[in-house]
Amino acid sequence: MHVSKLFVVSIMLLVLSSQFLVAASFAGASEDTAASALANAEESIVLAYQATLNAEEAGANVSGLLVRLNEAGQLLASAQIEYRLDDFEKANELSESSKSIAEEVQNAAVNLKDSALSESAQRMLSTMVASVLGVASIALVSLYAWYLLKKRCGSTGF
Amino acid sequence: MNFEAYRGWFIVGSLVLMLAAAAPTLAIFIHLPNGSEKFSELWLLGPGHKAEDYPFNIASNHNYSLFLGVGNHLGYSAYYLVEVKFRDQTQPAPNSFNRISSSLPSLFNITAFVTDEGTWELPLTFSFDFEYNEALTQVNLLNVTLNDFSFDMRNQTIMWDSRNNGFLGSLFFELWIYDTATSSFRYHERFVGLWFNMTSS
Repeated sequence: MHVSKLFVVSIMLLVLSSQFLVAASFAGASEDTAASALANAEESIVLAYQATLNAEEAGANVSGLLVRLNEAGQLLASAQIEYRLDDFEKANELSESSKSIAEEVQNAAVNLKDSALSESAQRMLSTMVASVLGVASIALVSLYAWYLLKKRCGSTGF
Repeated sequence: MNFEAYRGWFIVGSLVLMLAAAAPTLAIFIHLPNGSEKFSELWLLGPGHKAEDYPFNIASNHNYSLFLGVGNHLGYSAYYLVEVKFRDQTQPAPNSFNRISSSLPSLFNITAFVTDEGTWELPLTFSFDFEYNEALTQVNLLNVTLNDFSFDMRNQTIMWDSRNNGFLGSLFFELWIYDTATSSFRYHERFVGLWFNMTSS
């Protein structure tokens, strides 16, 4: 009788302690997940910024991308605060939103860079063609004008 | 008058016109250095969006507002970080001569992406929760709230300053910039801040 009671009490204690252990391990995982999400969001923002700088160097207008990057930055700052306040669930959620915006910006920046480069190449080509035609036309007109003037002055004795 | 005497002028005139026609193409390949100075601005404005009426006498748990701004004149879009810090008169401030930031930990970080020749501004609302010790010689800070986020300040105390007749503490903002060469933020040698007298309750 005593043995069976002891057995039941032991089982109950085991069940209770296992619940605490599971809860503790979930809390730990949540903190780790939030920390990892924060690091990922920070990295995504940096990558998006570098892609934006590349697009800007290629001549693209990046003001719209920077507005979105500011949104991602604000979300990341809020996530960092929630993490410090031990609200890992919220920190994780905000980090994911921030990362998602940053990735969207990075893709848009790559597309903007490509279109800016092709536009720039086209503009460069048309500028060079116009310049070559302009220089050639001026040279030809000058030579012809010189020839005409020489002929006219020669005939009038100037 | 000999027509041949004008030949030189005629050639020079033609060459000038040809150079003018070639200028757009030359501009693509020849980049002249831009003489303008590269710098960033950091400012703090009072509640009326002017450099006046800054809060000084601070009451516990009352809201005060400021405007924090950053201007970019670096020639490219910049990624800034503003570290918000608090110190009393004994704690280290940023040093303009040695160009170093304060070693105090940041309460709150604000990031800003600013286009070249663009500005960025953030309205700030803050409040301090504090209490005096029994002898009224020390203020114990409990927390600071900045734009609806509260930060624990229980380790921060401010001693009575008999020379200035107050409990003086400074909220200051350091500007950092993301450096793509080192892939990290570096102190951008700019800071702004305000001193507060925590005597009103």
